[in-house]
Amino acid sequence: MLSRRDETLIGLGVMALAIFILAYMIPNWIVVPRNVRLIFLSPMFWPNILGWVLLVLGGLLTLRALLGTAPPEGQADSLAISRAEGLRLVVMTAMLVVIFFAIPVLGMVWTSMLAFVATVLLTGGKRMGLGVLVAVVLPLALYFFFSKVAGVSIPQGVFVRLP
Amino acid sequence: MTFLESLAAGFGLVAQWESLFFLALGVAVGVFAGAIPGMSATMAVALTLPFTFALDPILGILLLLGVYKGGIFGGSIPAILIRTPGTPASSATALDGYPMAEQGHAGKALGMSLYASCIADFVSNIALIVFAGWLAQFAMNFGPPEFFTLIVFSLTIIAGVAGDSLTKGIISAVIGLLLATVGLDLIYGTNRFTFGNANLMGGLNFIAVLIGLFALPEIFAHVRLPRERDGKVRGLGHVGVTLDELKRCLKSIFRGSLIGVFLGSIPGIGAAPSAFLSYSEARRTSPRQANFGKGEIEGVAAAEAGNNGVAGATLIPLLSLGIPGDVITAIIIGAFMVHDLQPGPMLFQTHADIIYALFIGLIVSSVLLFLIGSLAIRGFRYVADIPPNLLAPSVLVLCIFGVYAVNNSAFDVGVMFAMGVLGYVVVLLRFPPAPFLIAFILGPLLENNFRQSLLMSQGAPEIFVRGPITWTFWTLTLLALAFIIRSTVANARFKRRLREESQRHGDRDSSSAD
Repeated sequence: MLSRRDETLIGLGVMALAIFILAYMIPNWIVVPRNVRLIFLSPMFWPNILGWVLLVLGGLLTLRALLGTAPPEGQADSLAISRAEGLRLVVMTAMLVVIFFAIPVLGMVWTSMLAFVATVLLTGGKRMGLGVLVAVVLPLALYFFFSKVAGVSIPQGVFVRLP
Repeated sequence: MTFLESLAAGFGLVAQWESLFFLALGVAVGVFAGAIPGMSATMAVALTLPFTFALDPILGILLLLGVYKGGIFGGSIPAILIRTPGTPASSATALDGYPMAEQGHAGKALGMSLYASCIADFVSNIALIVFAGWLAQFAMNFGPPEFFTLIVFSLTIIAGVAGDSLTKGIISAVIGLLLATVGLDLIYGTNRFTFGNANLMGGLNFIAVLIGLFALPEIFAHVRLPRERDGKVRGLGHVGVTLDELKRCLKSIFRGSLIGVFLGSIPGIGAAPSAFLSYSEARRTSPRQANFGKGEIEGVAAAEAGNNGVAGATLIPLLSLGIPGDVITAIIIGAFMVHDLQPGPMLFQTHADIIYALFIGLIVSSVLLFLIGSLAIRGFRYVADIPPNLLAPSVLVLCIFGVYAVNNSAFDVGVMFAMGVLGYVVVLLRFPPAPFLIAFILGPLLENNFRQSLLMSQGAPEIFVRGPITWTFWTLTLLALAFIIRSTVANARFKRRLREESQRHGDRDSSSAD
């Protein structure tokens, strides 16, 4: 169980998300036709209900955190992430963004090879030799399965094209 | 089609080398993946799903069912040999399996685990064959209001997968329902949360969402805390169970199988409670009660029977009603959907051959599980040697290729990455991801049946209580809610009492120290 403070913040965060959905997302990003006969049939009806339910649940979570019994000192789970852990997570997230944009340019196979090696390095770089071998073999095997057996057109990129 | 005609057509589909090959391949992949510490049967099924697109529907679904069956057994191998359960349900197996391994009887524990798994799996498959057709026949009378009430009842299954906090489980489900509304509105064809992006008009790709939610958070977890495997692999010792030992455990195996069938057929309960209930019943009734927890072979048999007894039974609500019984069957729905098959009562009418082929294939899978499992027990040492720091990037590459292959869409890869980040954040904040996925699947069905019902009744809500079926489901929903509220309150009281006791102990300790 998380600490009272963390649970309260999560509850408030859920409420903020619900308000954002109800006040901004639904009015701006759902197109409602003019000829809706019944309110139940409106494309907005269901998301609105869910938004309100989310708001109530966020409130419930906050209230429970504020009024309920808090876990004893030192027994609450911690959300704290050390600097090194946080840095690795940020790099991993950034790597996913880079992979997404690199696929059309480098192709899926080469991007996957680089992503594999980068992930091994990010987690300490042990058994690098074997890592490089798997990094080359695995994407190539998957490429041949999907493109030659399954008939999927795997993105090739603009530099080196595979047969 | 008559029953015999359907059976013959199904047999025709299974009695090909391709069907047997893919089923055996699925079982082997499942056992292998389940045996790798850090992989789970859920992740194995999710990662195999994209490979089924290129196959015929029956081959693809048999492959996935094989992975499911193999994965559940495979989880017991590391549970026994290194006390690292491959699946949550295998934790019960570790209670007696690991002490047996410490005493040098790992081979015996694994052998009994295999026997119990195969027998329970077989019993569960028979239950599926008997009950699914009957339930589907009954469900033929359902219209949109009946389906709406059924899905409302099914959503109570979220309580079973919500984990520690029911409120957080429901929040997770509501977010899943909200994300399911992305795309074109099915009645008016207008955009909902598409942000002008044509890729979002068809909604979020189900496979990208599930792989993002269940595979990528494991990679993030490994990147955050890269750890080497710390459990020591025990030697196998003598592999083989004597006939006397098997006879002594048969009662617990059949009891566990029936517990598994009963709990597995109720959506949301899953294998872990079944394994623990079967284990505790075996301990309660065994003459060797005192030996449980110290390396009792009957404990391993009971736990594995309870664990595997759910495997066929969870397919009962899936095939007959189109409702996933747990997270893995929620993923298996994806295999049906990509082949334009919608599980439910109509499938028994339109594709009876596929249904009966699955039934026969499942029976065959019990035999294949026995053969492949026997080999896997001896080969585990090699599986345990797979370095964890190469496993995470391998899963990442599999995810990228697999998700792209679904629709030839790089956009889906982006959706998977986004869901992976979201999935890791929700895990960090102690929100369970399973309710999210189940609600994401059931969301469109819920909304469409709700709106279709109101279209039929010209807006009169009385249609939702129009007959005995809807009344039955409302009653079941209310009963389920009452049960959930009661057990949540009891659980909260128990936790509070524990906390107060530990606080009292803490105060006493500090005062005595003073």
